[in-house]
Amino acid sequence: MPEILRMPEVAANTTEAVVSSWNVDLNTPYAAGEAIVTVETEKAAVDIEAETEGALLRLLADEGQTVAVGSPIAVWGSPGETPDAVDALVATLDLPTGITTGAGSDDERRAEAVPAESAVADRGAGAASPANGGRIFASPIARKLAAEAGLDLAAVVGTGPNQSIRRRDVEAALAAARSAEAAAGGPDAAASPSSDHAVEPATAGAEFEDVPISRMRQAVARRLVDSKHSAPHFYLRGTVRVDRLLDVRRELNDGTQAAISLNDLVVKAVAVAHSRVPGLNVRWNGDSVRQYRQADIAVAVATEHGLVTPVVRGVDTMPIGTLAERTRDLIRRAHDRRLRQHELEGGSITVTNLGMFGTEEFAAIINPPHAAILAVGAASRQPHVVDGELGVATIMRMCLSVDHRPVDGVTAAEWMRELTGIIEHPLQILA
Amino acid sequence: MPSRKAIEPAAAWTELVVTDADWDAAPAELLTAMLSQLVLIRTFEEFVLDLAAKGLIHGPAHSSIGQEGGAVGSCISLTSADTVNGSHRGHHQFLAKVLTHLHPDGIDPTKPVPDDVRDALLRTLREICGLDRGFSHGRGGSMHLQWNEAGAIGTNAIVGGGVPLAAGSAWAHKHAGTDAVAVSYFGDGAINIGSVLETFNLAAAWSLPLCFFVENNQYAVSTHIAEVTAETRLSGRGPGFGIRSWKVDGMDPLAVHLAMREALEHLRSGQGPALIEAEVYRYFHQNGPFPGSAFRYRTKEEEREWRRRDPLDTTARHIVRRGILAQDDVAGCIEQAKALMAELGEVILEPKPGGKPKEQRIKPEEWPDPGFVDEGVRGDLSELAGMTFTDLDNHPGEITESSFIGAIAGVLARRMETDPRVVVMGEDVHRLNGGTNGATRGLKERFPDRVLGTPISENAFAGLGGGLAMDGRFRPIVEFMYADFMWVAADQLFNQIGKARHMFGGTGKVPLVLRSKVAMGTGYGSQHSMDPAGVFATAPGWRIVAPSTPFDYIGLMNTALACDDPVMVLEHVDLYQSSGPNVPDDYDHYLPVGKAAVRRRGSAITIITYLAMTQHVLAAVEDVGIDAEVIDLRWLDRASLDWDTITASVQKTNTVLIAEQGARGTSYGGWLADEIQRRLFDWLDAPIERVTGGEASPSISKVLERAAVAGTEEVAAKLRQIAEV
Repeated sequence: MPEILRMPEVAANTTEAVVSSWNVDLNTPYAAGEAIVTVETEKAAVDIEAETEGALLRLLADEGQTVAVGSPIAVWGSPGETPDAVDALVATLDLPTGITTGAGSDDERRAEAVPAESAVADRGAGAASPANGGRIFASPIARKLAAEAGLDLAAVVGTGPNQSIRRRDVEAALAAARSAEAAAGGPDAAASPSSDHAVEPATAGAEFEDVPISRMRQAVARRLVDSKHSAPHFYLRGTVRVDRLLDVRRELNDGTQAAISLNDLVVKAVAVAHSRVPGLNVRWNGDSVRQYRQADIAVAVATEHGLVTPVVRGVDTMPIGTLAERTRDLIRRAHDRRLRQHELEGGSITVTNLGMFGTEEFAAIINPPHAAILAVGAASRQPHVVDGELGVATIMRMCLSVDHRPVDGVTAAEWMRELTGIIEHPLQILA
Repeated sequence: MPSRKAIEPAAAWTELVVTDADWDAAPAELLTAMLSQLVLIRTFEEFVLDLAAKGLIHGPAHSSIGQEGGAVGSCISLTSADTVNGSHRGHHQFLAKVLTHLHPDGIDPTKPVPDDVRDALLRTLREICGLDRGFSHGRGGSMHLQWNEAGAIGTNAIVGGGVPLAAGSAWAHKHAGTDAVAVSYFGDGAINIGSVLETFNLAAAWSLPLCFFVENNQYAVSTHIAEVTAETRLSGRGPGFGIRSWKVDGMDPLAVHLAMREALEHLRSGQGPALIEAEVYRYFHQNGPFPGSAFRYRTKEEEREWRRRDPLDTTARHIVRRGILAQDDVAGCIEQAKALMAELGEVILEPKPGGKPKEQRIKPEEWPDPGFVDEGVRGDLSELAGMTFTDLDNHPGEITESSFIGAIAGVLARRMETDPRVVVMGEDVHRLNGGTNGATRGLKERFPDRVLGTPISENAFAGLGGGLAMDGRFRPIVEFMYADFMWVAADQLFNQIGKARHMFGGTGKVPLVLRSKVAMGTGYGSQHSMDPAGVFATAPGWRIVAPSTPFDYIGLMNTALACDDPVMVLEHVDLYQSSGPNVPDDYDHYLPVGKAAVRRRGSAITIITYLAMTQHVLAAVEDVGIDAEVIDLRWLDRASLDWDTITASVQKTNTVLIAEQGARGTSYGGWLADEIQRRLFDWLDAPIERVTGGEASPSISKVLERAAVAGTEEVAAKLRQIAEV
């Protein structure tokens, strides 16, 4: 008996997901537990494992297609099923000519259904499909914002009904453009008003290419814009001397397999600072402030697919060796797009480190719903004054961005003082 | 074997007939005064028909030539405090009332026409031609002649439509403690229409000093009276309602005068209404300068017969016979009137440039400015200037929870206590311990003369309320037990009350409050479950308020009562038993016109709602967990809508949902969605969404009724759908 494979609800309250890749061939037997399909949400790519052995008999969704949670994506069964049996099953699904992309089943939604092929084609940026008479669907406010920013809607990916471009899509596109400039424009350049950074419209034959962005890129863009809009940021900068920290790290790594990074020690120091100044271990709920009891800390990982921030839980009670191991695992799976949804949720602070690129200092945008993000620069030998004497020391600069809604300046300053002290007296990290 | 005995109606029905002896006994000044009026009115109307024939009158000119005897005979003994209204054929009554007002002792036909008469005739001519210096700036024209100062409270183009309004005027005369009377003129065509018959009953029940003056000219356009009613003696309608009734020859001005004198004695002595049927004849067709015979519904012989009884000739004949004036005096009077009209024509007309010889046109400077088109649809609210307005966030005094129905009864009692002008009327408002819902509890005991239980005649009592409001001495609060009854009273609500101010020039006041109950959810079915807001919003003269809390009810009712425009106060049965924020025992606060209430702040979506739906929306928002901004409109009409609040919210959220309970067809949100998309198009991120009830009106069956009405679940489902995309 063939059966229907439906789009699972990968994370709570997600309504749709993209079929990222089919990992087994049609009519080719697979074993129980084998990853037969990868689906991608805004936050994660998830492998769907086969519950029992079987084979895929027919695909009802193409790679790249957005499918509502609960909608059919394939027919599976034993490899020997007849095509008739598959047809009979598919017929019961009452699918339109293609596959619906919407969530509902009422008439209006059905009318919006787009045949699978054009749905795939439409996913590209600037896709004015022939079915739309060449018109790009965009909401009035999206058109207005795009016009104000000089942004060509043809370069924006729509996520609304009929792939229409909504406000969020324009904002994501503008945020992406700003990030690109921020990379060239120095610390916190992303905060500049959008109108100062008009994006040149893409025209045919231009000397550049507008590359379609992934859902993850979109999600990152949107969340950062939201964060900058809704969380009032303030910034505290600090300089720490890390000679002793480097010594401790050398000792820890000497003759072991542990390979503890400087960042691991900073993350651990953050956890200790959290236990001393719990006022920063919070998040803003809108009508209340959530006080966390343990230190869950996110680590920013740049992957080729986009920025992800897996969360290490219970860092306050975790031995440094375990922390290093856990973090390494998360980073590796982030690159492989194998993080699970729950590993991306929670925490009150992110640690982001561009030290390995030699960046001395930078300010970061808070990763919502966190209350803060700690941006860590490179450790380098610099002139340093101790007791009136000029000497040379290894210095590291840090910048803490804080959401002013749940946290006041004094609290953040106390926290920063503690963190500096802990890092300069690294045995406290290990205590 | 049953026995039978004849039953006599309680009210007398008599025919008054005069002889030459009565003409001989009449004072000479009365006869010359009647002659002056007859000549001026006849000459004026002939001039109007002449203009009509030249194409200089836009729209119909309904002449009353031939019928002047009824108007002059009845008006000549009225005072300026007495009021008259009339129908589409009203030039003669209007002028008779105006001439009597200007010269109560009569105009001497042998003297030059007085200047004030000349001015009044010119102003009337201008109004009929649609010119700016007419009584209503040309808006009313021939069929809507009003000069309140003269007691001419407005003629009416809806057959029978003015009769309930006259009852309001009569009620005001009586309860203001005067002996003034109201006279409502209408024709045989109106005798069979509901609003007239309803008003017969209401005026008799409440013993109002109202004279129903029926000009029976036998033809409703081309339809003869005998074709459409069995009892062609129309004064026979009166006794059935307990109305003292007279029949009289309307071609004889003295007969009419004598009948009216008897009727006035009856009216002024507080014995209730009177009905006079005057048999008259219009020489011309319904409108225009051709006789009815040209349209073949009557014969030339018949017209000749009636012309032999011409009221002007009859009066002139008796005056000459008695030696009061010579034939030449009469001819001179007529010549003088013709010369006057020619002179008035010169004032407003000029040769048409490039036209044929003698072709004329209206002088361009006489026309109203096109920019005046919508001016004065409603008042400018200057009557509220200097008042203190407070809202929940700035009202002194402690806010507590209290019952909604208590707020209604409380504020009505308080206003009746402080303002003797306030009158409450409606079905059963005086009984059942405060009407069917307790909203008027305790009022009848405290204010017996101002709490009026009405017959089931929505047209009559809504119209009476309208007439009372236009009179200005009282501030009526009319209750409709169910909002659907608005269809029953639609003429009074929309053609009369809603349009009156604008139609009569844009300055009149219509301080009427209509309490209208939405009973959706009570199982009263298809004809008792509508929300009238959508329909009222199409009538620009009306303001609409929709209180959803006790505090709002008091503040909005007080402002509505202080406002000089008609205001519908929407009530919802679900709210009656609810409680909400209020300041206990404070019934003297006012909410500002045009201020909505933001019941919840949010940034994800703007939900616009009102009345009982507000609570459903708030519940749905909590249920779905969306960060919605919820706007409770409070003021729903086009002029009073709070665009500041709506605009700020839409610019923040970029998404709009308009939520209401009632059926889609008569729903409110359509025009608002239209207005929002035009005003705020560039701020929208999605189509404007709406939640309404179903297509059909709600049914009796509890399950079907629930399915027909939108509530918390329907709003929640819509919000989830919006959140998904």
